Amino acid sequence: MTVQLKGRAEAITIQWIPKYTTLERAAHWLHTATFVPLAITGMILYFPFLQPLAQGPAGMTFRLIHRVAAVIFGLLPIVYFIFQPRRLILNIREFLPSKDDIGWLKGAPAYYLLGRHEAMPPQGRFNAGEKMNGLIMIVAWFVFGLTGVPMWFGKGVIPPEVFRWLVVFHDLAMIVSVCMFLVHLYLAVAHPLMWAGLVSMRFGVTSAEYAAEHHAKWYYGPKRAMEIWEAKKREAAQKGGH
Amino acid sequence: MARLAMLIDESQCTACRGCQVACKQWNDREGWLYSRTRNRGSYENPPDLSPQTWTRIKFTEYEGPDGFRWLFLKEGCMHCGDPACVAVCPTGALKQQPNGLVTFERELCNGCGYCTQFCPFHIPRLEVVNPLTGEAKSSKCVFCQDRVTNGLLPACVKTCPAKALDFGDRDEMIAKGQERVKALKARGYTQANLYGVDQLGGLGRLYVLIAPPEAYGLPANPQYPALANVWQKIIQPLGNVAFGATLLGILGAFLFVRRKIRMEEVR
Repeated sequence: MTVQLKGRAEAITIQWIPKYTTLERAAHWLHTATFVPLAITGMILYFPFLQPLAQGPAGMTFRLIHRVAAVIFGLLPIVYFIFQPRRLILNIREFLPSKDDIGWLKGAPAYYLLGRHEAMPPQGRFNAGEKMNGLIMIVAWFVFGLTGVPMWFGKGVIPPEVFRWLVVFHDLAMIVSVCMFLVHLYLAVAHPLMWAGLVSMRFGVTSAEYAAEHHAKWYYGPKRAMEIWEAKKREAAQKGGH
Repeated sequence: MARLAMLIDESQCTACRGCQVACKQWNDREGWLYSRTRNRGSYENPPDLSPQTWTRIKFTEYEGPDGFRWLFLKEGCMHCGDPACVAVCPTGALKQQPNGLVTFERELCNGCGYCTQFCPFHIPRLEVVNPLTGEAKSSKCVFCQDRVTNGLLPACVKTCPAKALDFGDRDEMIAKGQERVKALKARGYTQANLYGVDQLGGLGRLYVLIAPPEAYGLPANPQYPALANVWQKIIQPLGNVAFGATLLGILGAFLFVRRKIRMEEVR
């Protein structure tokens, strides 16, 4: 699909290519809309300074919100799996670690902080940072569910020694996933290089030029992507030499 | 303030269960709600502590060195010197008072149930109104805080016709208990012992027992739940560091990147 924007001298043409299905975007935003209230209502029991909110009827109301949100949060991936199992498997496969992740780790500071594109080796449809976010959220979903459901229904049924571990792992999953969420939020809404991420998640498409620049292995294929990157590095080195 | 404690002389207890009745009467605990009386082949009744039953005489059929006998144990909150329930309570409903009483404010409780899961003696019970919404309240013996702070004895102590119960300064109670153990030993109760002097920072409930604690179902060496410490003293502070570091990192990156990367040059 091509969108023409009226410019001063000539029209700017943006070539859009599909990235996410409608269900994926709906699931993403519902995940956000439940994750945030879940985190906030959970933190009421975590941070001592929020104690007044945890007390009495207020605490019970927040627990109810937590549980309603938890049901939706828990069902989302299952709905996704039922309607688009191939997409889910495709995405999970692309979240798995690969050799490119080491290159990403080395290049990330120069790329994200200084905007030096030549420092970042070509990445696939998801780069190592996005993979980390995806995997942590998937693991956290399992941990939240496997600890949360027994905490909800198992009080008095499961031995207290086991219950204590559930509380601890629920907390651990919260700490890790909330930290990841904060980084994800910053990159999505405030980092200038990552402007296309929010567009993709809203409209399901990404700019072809952006994909070529940031997800070259996905756009060009591994071989061509490497050639282009080598050329880019040479150019940058020449520029630096002058 | 000196610590208060209850001394329970199980060698004197006749299991009349007057303490159970007095407790329910003073604390407005309904009897029938959670523990309908039914024949379970034992004189013991009700079968367990419940949100409505803060204290209860536990019957144990014991084959001791002198043959068969009943062991009676007046169950209830131990009022630990080092109470795990207070540490894990996120609402402040459970508090340890300067006089050692572990008290409970029902209005503050939100029914999370952590106290029921972290108590080393499995004493607090959750009064669940709705398991689906999680509407609940915890419940346990508070040593009749209202009576004790006004110079009265706890209801169970006041009512005990066998004089098996005593309440007062903890050091005095320990001395009395040790005296009693000595007397019992002299009378041939070789296994007599005083339970609760050192456990968990010293219990507020001291037992004169005529058999080893295990025979009564009491843990000889109860431990503060190690996971409560791992959780609250290691994981949560580390979590706070992680949140702080993440937020600072993001703020730093935001301020740095906006000067280094110019939006109009980004493709």
